[in-house]
Amino acid sequence: MITQFFSNTWLLWILLSIGGLLWWRGRDNQYFHYVFNRYWLALATLLLVSGIVFSLMEVLPGDCAEKYIAYKNTQGETITQADIQAERVRMGLDKSLPERWGRWVMNLTLRGDLGFSCAKRQSVNLALGDRFWMSFMFCIAGLLFAYLIAVPFGILSAFTINKPWKDKNPQHSKVEQWIGTVMLSGQKVLDLLLRIISYLGLALPNFLLALTIILLYVFAGEPMPTGLFSDQWASVPWFGPNGFEMEKLYDFLGHIWLPIFVIGWSATALQLQTVRALVVDESSKLYVDAARARGVDGVALWAGYPVRHSISPLFNSIGFDFQRVFNDLPIVAVVIGLTDSAALLIEALSMTNDQELAAGILFLVALVVISMNFITDVVLAAIDPRVRKSVLGS
Amino acid sequence: MMINQRISENLLEIRDLSIDFNTDEGLVRAVDNLSLSIRPGEVMGLVGESGSGKSITAKSIMRLAPGNAIIQHPSQITLNHRGQAVNVLKLRGRDLRLVRGDAVSMIFQEPMASFAPAIPISDQIIQTMQIHLGYDKDQARRAGIELFDRVGIVDPAKRFDQYVFELSGGMRQRAMIAMALSTQPKLLIADEPTTALDVTIQAQVLDLMMELREQLGMAMLFITHDLGVVSKIADNVTVMQRGKVVEAGIADQVLFQPEHPYTRRLLDALPNLDNLPEAPAHTPEPLLSVTDLSISYPTMGSGRKREMYTAVKNISLDLPEGQIIGLVGESGSGKTSLGKAMLGAAPITSGTVEYHHTKKKVKFGAGKAIKRKRLARTAQLVFQDPYSSLNPRMTVRDIIAEPLEAMKLTKSREETDQRVIEVAKRCHIEVEHLRRFPHAFSGGQRQRISIARALVCKPEFIVADESVAALDVSIQAEILKLLKELKDELGLTIMFISHDLSVIANLCDWVCVMKQGELVEQGTVRQIFLAPQQAYTQKLIASIPLLHSSEGRQQRLPDLLQIAEDSVNACQLQGV
Amino acid sequence: MNALLARFGRKAKPAKNEESYYTAGQLALIKARFKRKTSGVVAAWILGTLVLMGFFAPFFSPADPTIGGADGEYRRGEPQVVFFWDDQGFSLRPFSYSYEKATSKIDLKALAGGGLDALDALTSSGALSSSSQNKFTVDKTQRRYLQFFVQGWEYSLIDLSVAGLDLDIRWDRHLFGVEQGQIHLMGTDEDGKDIFSRTLHAIWVTISIAIVALVVKLVVSLFVGGVSGYFGGRVDTIMMSITEAVRVIPPIPIYLACAVALSQIDLTPIQRYFAIAVVIGALDFATLGRRLRTHILTERNQDYVLAAQLCGSSTWRIIWRHLIPSFTSYIIVDTLINFPYVILAETSLSFLGLGLTEPVNSLGVLLQKAQDPDIQQNMVWQFFPVLVFVVLIMAFVFVGDALRDAADPYSEKK
Repeated sequence: MITQFFSNTWLLWILLSIGGLLWWRGRDNQYFHYVFNRYWLALATLLLVSGIVFSLMEVLPGDCAEKYIAYKNTQGETITQADIQAERVRMGLDKSLPERWGRWVMNLTLRGDLGFSCAKRQSVNLALGDRFWMSFMFCIAGLLFAYLIAVPFGILSAFTINKPWKDKNPQHSKVEQWIGTVMLSGQKVLDLLLRIISYLGLALPNFLLALTIILLYVFAGEPMPTGLFSDQWASVPWFGPNGFEMEKLYDFLGHIWLPIFVIGWSATALQLQTVRALVVDESSKLYVDAARARGVDGVALWAGYPVRHSISPLFNSIGFDFQRVFNDLPIVAVVIGLTDSAALLIEALSMTNDQELAAGILFLVALVVISMNFITDVVLAAIDPRVRKSVLGS
Repeated sequence: MMINQRISENLLEIRDLSIDFNTDEGLVRAVDNLSLSIRPGEVMGLVGESGSGKSITAKSIMRLAPGNAIIQHPSQITLNHRGQAVNVLKLRGRDLRLVRGDAVSMIFQEPMASFAPAIPISDQIIQTMQIHLGYDKDQARRAGIELFDRVGIVDPAKRFDQYVFELSGGMRQRAMIAMALSTQPKLLIADEPTTALDVTIQAQVLDLMMELREQLGMAMLFITHDLGVVSKIADNVTVMQRGKVVEAGIADQVLFQPEHPYTRRLLDALPNLDNLPEAPAHTPEPLLSVTDLSISYPTMGSGRKREMYTAVKNISLDLPEGQIIGLVGESGSGKTSLGKAMLGAAPITSGTVEYHHTKKKVKFGAGKAIKRKRLARTAQLVFQDPYSSLNPRMTVRDIIAEPLEAMKLTKSREETDQRVIEVAKRCHIEVEHLRRFPHAFSGGQRQRISIARALVCKPEFIVADESVAALDVSIQAEILKLLKELKDELGLTIMFISHDLSVIANLCDWVCVMKQGELVEQGTVRQIFLAPQQAYTQKLIASIPLLHSSEGRQQRLPDLLQIAEDSVNACQLQGV
Repeated sequence: MNALLARFGRKAKPAKNEESYYTAGQLALIKARFKRKTSGVVAAWILGTLVLMGFFAPFFSPADPTIGGADGEYRRGEPQVVFFWDDQGFSLRPFSYSYEKATSKIDLKALAGGGLDALDALTSSGALSSSSQNKFTVDKTQRRYLQFFVQGWEYSLIDLSVAGLDLDIRWDRHLFGVEQGQIHLMGTDEDGKDIFSRTLHAIWVTISIAIVALVVKLVVSLFVGGVSGYFGGRVDTIMMSITEAVRVIPPIPIYLACAVALSQIDLTPIQRYFAIAVVIGALDFATLGRRLRTHILTERNQDYVLAAQLCGSSTWRIIWRHLIPSFTSYIIVDTLINFPYVILAETSLSFLGLGLTEPVNSLGVLLQKAQDPDIQQNMVWQFFPVLVFVVLIMAFVFVGDALRDAADPYSEKK
């Protein structure tokens, strides 16, 4: 009895105890007070998001009862309008929107239940299974890819700003000027290249990039690396009779780079510009000159001063970067032929009109974004004194 | 004595330094053929207004000139380091550390901006010591705390590990000095180190620098626009104007027997306490009365938790008609709030403001609404920042005509134009300039436009809020002259708000001193400057950087200054 | 060429004519600053050309892009190249050749004879596969010369009847054509519609959707930002938390949901087209709304606004004379920078088949076709719209970037 009660309400208890703990610690501690505030603000935003998502899904045609009956119809039963009505009542679909939303939110907060998918004929949690994690991993991998490329190259690009093409310093000897000019031109060309790439990232959206890559494969006459595995490996288990299947891993790696590259592509372009702007902004500040005047130079200067100070705002944007990446994922999934939750989302929205499933996926994405925002806010307030000052007062 | 010295005797020798800036308009000369030398232990004052090239000179000694600055042939900067003459302009790579810390250190104008905000001060100082002195971390830490103690920072061990924004303004500059000294340099370059500070703190910092210089025997290149400050600290003075040296020599000689008219003009801007205006025979009637005025602003939070910060506490004040009234105070004293309240632009929580002898009587205050248009025709404001106070999208004519058009004071466009031209001439703005946009003008000209706008609806009272603070000394003088003219010819009453006592002494008839929202003292200029009654006023007056001859420099007011420090600290505690 | 370079170069300096610089208003200043950025100027020319060609697409198109103008004789045809010279000599007037549909030589006799070899040969020759259904042979002896300002199908050059005005200028001249038949610079699609003409028409359709979407977006953002910034307090808090919540949800799935809902309603293509634009615009208020709010808050505290207040200006006068002018340049620039994003949103929707659909010419529709393996393998020239799309977006991005830098001429203090 009691176990059942708890297994039905476990999420609520977790949420409440986290909140309680934060409140208790925040009574005399400014930082935890701030964390507590952020916590309930995040929960409130989530509630708002769930409301928006839930009511938005109302625009999709049909409802669960109709779909269920239609399903029965294919089984050979004849049904009338009255049957549909009865089914509606049974499923609670005759209630008003706020009432249904309230129930949905309640189930969600009590035990993380995202509802029932009519088209899939199973609970949304089950239908999603690990597919959401798959999308999540795609996005994270894409973001990592983007950061790994954008951060170093963005810094490099920022390094060249306001530098001339030619070294015309009269204090340098002819040879020095010549060497300087070569170095400067090299940097400038690199910068130009990076800028063109970052513009291309916008002009050549993900799906076009995917198409282009596929087209290249067509020209080369190679099999396309769509999906996650080649046909022959798709059904082979990871651990075969000969131990771990390295071949399958190679095959997997041969496929996985495409979605990650494509997803990371425009994020990379955007991040390149952001990193560049941030570092340029920081490096023009007086404290960098002051550090230089103290003899700090080279890597210690760049890494310790402008770059170090640009990290916080970059870190702060992770949540919305994730949102942006996920935003592109459905189209990419269609082009590349993925079977993750983004593909499911497209299917739910445009083919099966599965309101619950679509709402569930969208809500989960929002949940990830909001949690990321919450975590970055809280972490930054802990480690960055500038943020701490602005959010905690002193 | 100092013209033809052999290089070996000089610590730093700059010869024929010419610097061009590479701009969109082509090469622009910033420094033209500058020569300068500093002997060990000497303090050289480098004086000039903005754009004179003094900062870029200092930066090129440290090889910190920005990328678009081109140091032309045959410029030479030579540093005498351990008996060897080092050509600074040819230094490369790691060798640059010689001028960046080893032998030369620099103090910047804004201590807040010159420390990295997200790194504790301790880390930055320790890093510097590790680079230059080869200390290990503990050694550097101990030395750093010792330095903090030495520059007069209270509780040095605690302050050492704080971030720069956690310190008060004076503390920051002290920490900056500690940072500069941490490498034990032979030459300290100080670029306007006290300009951003309040007078009392400025005096303390100057005293500290002199003390340190005596103890450590450092040479110093002291860059400033303020001859008063220079006279207090420098042995030799070089005056620059538009990239050229116009006068150089021993401090006493340059300051007391200036040859170049530009030096004389700079000197004229200094307060002359021997020549203060006489008070008028009888005290005029008050033009406006401020009664029990309090002003509070909401600070953090909202709703029930909202905290209020009281900027002005229960001030009562009568302003005499037809005079220039100076309102003096340090930052955070509430002087701007008081000035704005007189124009109905600050949240009055209690008390009233009443205009008596004006065309139309105006009275407002807590619970009494403002008759905005009536007030606008009676009292106007001239802002501090000549850039943000003019709408950049309107022509000068439209800006000046704004009050006329907004209140529909004129009947036709011709009449408006006529009034605008009239007032423009009055403020020495050329009529052809009326169709230009503000971006065509320099700060001083913009301030004239601002004054013209204030005058166009013929008010009787003008509040000038730090209206010359952003301007160079020689331009300040012109604006002050204009204000005096206006007072004499139009019978205006002007309230001049300033933190700069020298400006007040040159301009005002009557002075009010404010401190932390309260009125400390008021009286005629002579009373306040020559016989101040209150301790705070005395301290303020004592902090004015007046011209000192080299003998007169020993006079200091340590006790009074300590009081000032305490009051500032108290201020910080209250969250100002 | 030198004159052109000088135009693009850094010669246009205010120093030459100082008075004109001093009396230059905001727009003139922006223009002067914009001109300094060579890449922006070049991009602006490209963009201008593309947009102009898009707007007067019927004039620049050699063929009617609808099914009515499809060239039945030249389906799935590859691009017809224009030459100035060939073996027969040089011609000032560009020309193309005539193309003949290749009649596949099916050896019917052998087939009738039941020879298996013949059947084999037939299959392996590919004559039956779709790719070779429309092979064309070039008749190099038959030159077809290009003609300019030719008469063709009638179109309306400027049609304001949509706006309720009685103005509909009809014309039937086209910039170029060819004697005998049509010219297909970029080939044709499977219906024989001219790709080049379709692309030109698609540019304007896509841009006009973007314009409608941006106008809607602007109105909504102005409302949200204005109300939030002006009233402040509780209204601000509520507005901003809703905005924050909307910002968190990925927009494309939401557009998708709305597009699906729209597809349920019976709409004419033109209504559908506007509906999609409105949906894209209306849901994209979060970023601009927030920015406008901050802008209002900062601008409201500027000294010159206080100065206007002290001059006795009424609230309306302050809003009208001071605040709104301070927004306009900002809004215009922001709108231009957002163009590519909105175009991307439209193409994404159309790409998924939920925005505009065939036979409408929009870049998204044309891009969607690039997904078709048949096109990827046999009609590469149908990727021409992709190229135009990339150039168009690049041009927008470069112009937007240069404008962003030039937009606030008052940012640097003199």
